[in-house]
Amino acid sequence: MLKPILLVEDDKRDLELTLIALERSQLANDVVVMRDGEQALDYLRREGPHADRAEGNPAVVLLDLKLPKVNGIEVLQAVRGDAALRAIPIVMLTSSQEEADVLRSYELGVNAYVVKPVAFDQFVSAIADLGIFWAVLNEPPPGSLKVSRRGEP
Amino acid sequence: MHVDPRLRPPRLAETTPTGLADCAAEPIRTPGAIQPHGWLLVLDPMDCGLLAFSDNQDQPRARSAIGLLDPQRLRSLVPDALPVGLGALVLDGERFDVSAHRTRQHCVVEFEYATDGPGDDAPLYRLTRSFLPRLQRAGELNELARLAAAEMKCLTGFGRCLVYRFDAAGHGEVLAEELDPGYDSYLGHHFPAADIPPQARELYLLNRVRLIADADYTPVPLAALAPELATEAVDLSQAQLRSVSPVHLAYMRNMGTLASMSVSIVIDGRLWGLISCHHHTPRRLSLPLRRACEHLGELLALSIQSNEVTSSARSSLALRQLTLELVAQLSDSDASLQQLVAHPSQLLRLTQSRGAAVVRDDQLWTTGEVPGDDQIQALANWVAGLGVTVYESSALAQHFGQAPIPHAAGVLAISISQVHRHLILWFRPEIVTTVTWAGDPRKAEPGGDGHIHPRASFASWVETVRGRSLPWSAEEVGAVNELRQALIGIVLRRAEEVAEMATELGRVNKELEAFSYTVSHDLRAPMRHIAGYVDLVVDAEGGQLSERARKYLANVKEASVFSGKLVDALLEFSRMSRSALKVRSVNVGVMVEGLVRELSRHERASQVEWQIAPDLPALQADPLLLQVAVRNLMANAVKYSRTRTPPRITIRPVRRADGDGIEVEDNGVGFQMKYVDKLFGVFQRLHAAEEFEGTGIGLANVKRIVERHGGTVYAHGEVGHGARFGFVLPRPAADPHLDSRTGDLLA
Repeated sequence: MLKPILLVEDDKRDLELTLIALERSQLANDVVVMRDGEQALDYLRREGPHADRAEGNPAVVLLDLKLPKVNGIEVLQAVRGDAALRAIPIVMLTSSQEEADVLRSYELGVNAYVVKPVAFDQFVSAIADLGIFWAVLNEPPPGSLKVSRRGEP
Repeated sequence: MHVDPRLRPPRLAETTPTGLADCAAEPIRTPGAIQPHGWLLVLDPMDCGLLAFSDNQDQPRARSAIGLLDPQRLRSLVPDALPVGLGALVLDGERFDVSAHRTRQHCVVEFEYATDGPGDDAPLYRLTRSFLPRLQRAGELNELARLAAAEMKCLTGFGRCLVYRFDAAGHGEVLAEELDPGYDSYLGHHFPAADIPPQARELYLLNRVRLIADADYTPVPLAALAPELATEAVDLSQAQLRSVSPVHLAYMRNMGTLASMSVSIVIDGRLWGLISCHHHTPRRLSLPLRRACEHLGELLALSIQSNEVTSSARSSLALRQLTLELVAQLSDSDASLQQLVAHPSQLLRLTQSRGAAVVRDDQLWTTGEVPGDDQIQALANWVAGLGVTVYESSALAQHFGQAPIPHAAGVLAISISQVHRHLILWFRPEIVTTVTWAGDPRKAEPGGDGHIHPRASFASWVETVRGRSLPWSAEEVGAVNELRQALIGIVLRRAEEVAEMATELGRVNKELEAFSYTVSHDLRAPMRHIAGYVDLVVDAEGGQLSERARKYLANVKEASVFSGKLVDALLEFSRMSRSALKVRSVNVGVMVEGLVRELSRHERASQVEWQIAPDLPALQADPLLLQVAVRNLMANAVKYSRTRTPPRITIRPVRRADGDGIEVEDNGVGFQMKYVDKLFGVFQRLHAAEEFEGTGIGLANVKRIVERHGGTVYAHGEVGHGARFGFVLPRPAADPHLDSRTGDLLA
């Protein structure tokens, strides 16, 4: 059974577009959606409302940078600091091209940093690339590979 | 000059072994003798017993004189105080004016033969009633001196009354005189300091009136009763009758003066000058009259002092006003010291100078008549080296130790900074002055006999003084010092303002960064949504939409994608100035090849006929930024030449004196050269938007990138015949040719 993809996104339009893009990439994985960083951490740690979910980590976390309550950087930091979660591939998926965000993400061990393209067709192909890379090609050691990315320092 | 016919040879000087060189050592306070116009007793201050008396008296008469005195009064005398008048006494039918004073050891009582003289009645009253009001009305120093000379002449009847002042070197200058016919004029003459030895000047402070009734007198020695008392040990410095130096008497006779009197003008405890009276024949003044003369001297001293204080205050006030104006102008402007010479009249008026210079390290600004730049810099160096805040000299060449500098016989300088060489200098030209001496002052040299003789001639002797400027007044020195304080204040305030500005700038930059971030994140998202949903609509409903609706939607999508690109470009532009350059050597040939491949993927660039020179230079630059710049130029060329068949783009090296670069030429639509300056501005477009797509930031980015590398951009265009865009970056400091030369030298 394929591991699910965890999508953490608060903007409902971005969520819809991302889900459509994932759908068009024809991945078989389930997509679990969390709307903020706190929920995402609860899900990953199997705490709170997600205490009774089945064991196992997602194949990949597509993490928006700007999130209510606990932001993307903080989620990334928490995951990398948790021995049980550390190995999960995390892809930052964001509008921000700010160098400081990119640098901070890489310092914290993000696997890829994807600036969402404005044109929808490019967005779809970026999501498809990501999905195929992280969800289909199983789990490579974190940080050993990088996918198509923009805004790298 | 008319020489007095009765000028006599210096007899005493020839008979005494005391030369002028020994004047300073002469025991003038304890001569052991008195002048003969009176007689004197030296008493024991405790029991009023007789210790010594002048030789023109016998012992019984001396003792009977003591009987007339009030012992209580004598015992109450305070040591070292001024003599006290004891009134008129009659002894053996003869009338005397008697005065007494205490020295440390003795009580000295003087009996002067009473005289009747001119203006003898109530002279003090006359001074108070008429002289004082006239002094108070007088405006300036010379007028005060003139009034005093006239009053003294009137009071004493001396043939010549002079008022003179000592300068800093101790030379006397005659300010005013009052003469009887037959007396030589000394007005404006100078008397050398050597005429009055230092210990004589001390006595002038102690004893304010000194009378020599007859220069031809025979001194009367003191006779001591007790053999153990040396009469030469009796301190006569306060005695009215004290015998004076034989050298001085010779001097008087040489001057043709047989009687003299001098009244000290003492200001603030310092001997400011003298009122000096001369008479061709012997002359005596009564004790009360001499008291009046002393009083006249005091009134004059007070008036001069108040005059000095007032005029100093007035001129200080005027100078302060000037200082304030200068400082106000400076603080209104950018406060650079250079601004001072922008207002030369005030700067020069402040010090009554003819020229001024502002030195700021190696920079120099001048106004008015000044020495050469090199001379000013050398002088500034020297002054700065003295380590003083204010320097003044009216005889610069003497102190600077160099040849006289034109326009700078005198200099006044202030140093603004302890750390930097920031000075302001004022210059005064040489004033060639002539000094008329009452006789050649250089005559005071040893004669053939090894002794120094008093001057035999008082004939005018004119000396020419060179290399000097007018002296700087205390008020002027004070004013520049005040200016210095104010300038330091301004400098400090400016430094604070700059620091504040830097803080403010930092804050604004932070805000701008936050703004950029917001734009990048929050503006891109809705653009993306618009583009995405339009695509979805077209995908899902495309078949059912009218041709027109599909066209509209295509426009919406294009607009949103364009907005996204614009946001990206703006962000890139703003980031360009923020990120640090990572400069290294870039192979531009390889870079251009790669960009040609990248651009050719789009179908419209595939038609381009590329002509790329084989010798494109290696440039020192940040590779990523350089690529953005070159890509922009190449994409521009592709864009504006796409209507040509075939579009032709040439890339060639540029090698100039100021550096190396490349140039991209196309055969496209070109532009009008009058707009060339607008090309590189943000959002400057020369073509309608629908004609050629683009954000209008591309060339602005190129310019900013090139300029951050210290380089320059340029453009040439001709409408309908294409355009040429190029840039040049400076060569690295370590030129390879230079390296090899250095290597040779080291080897």
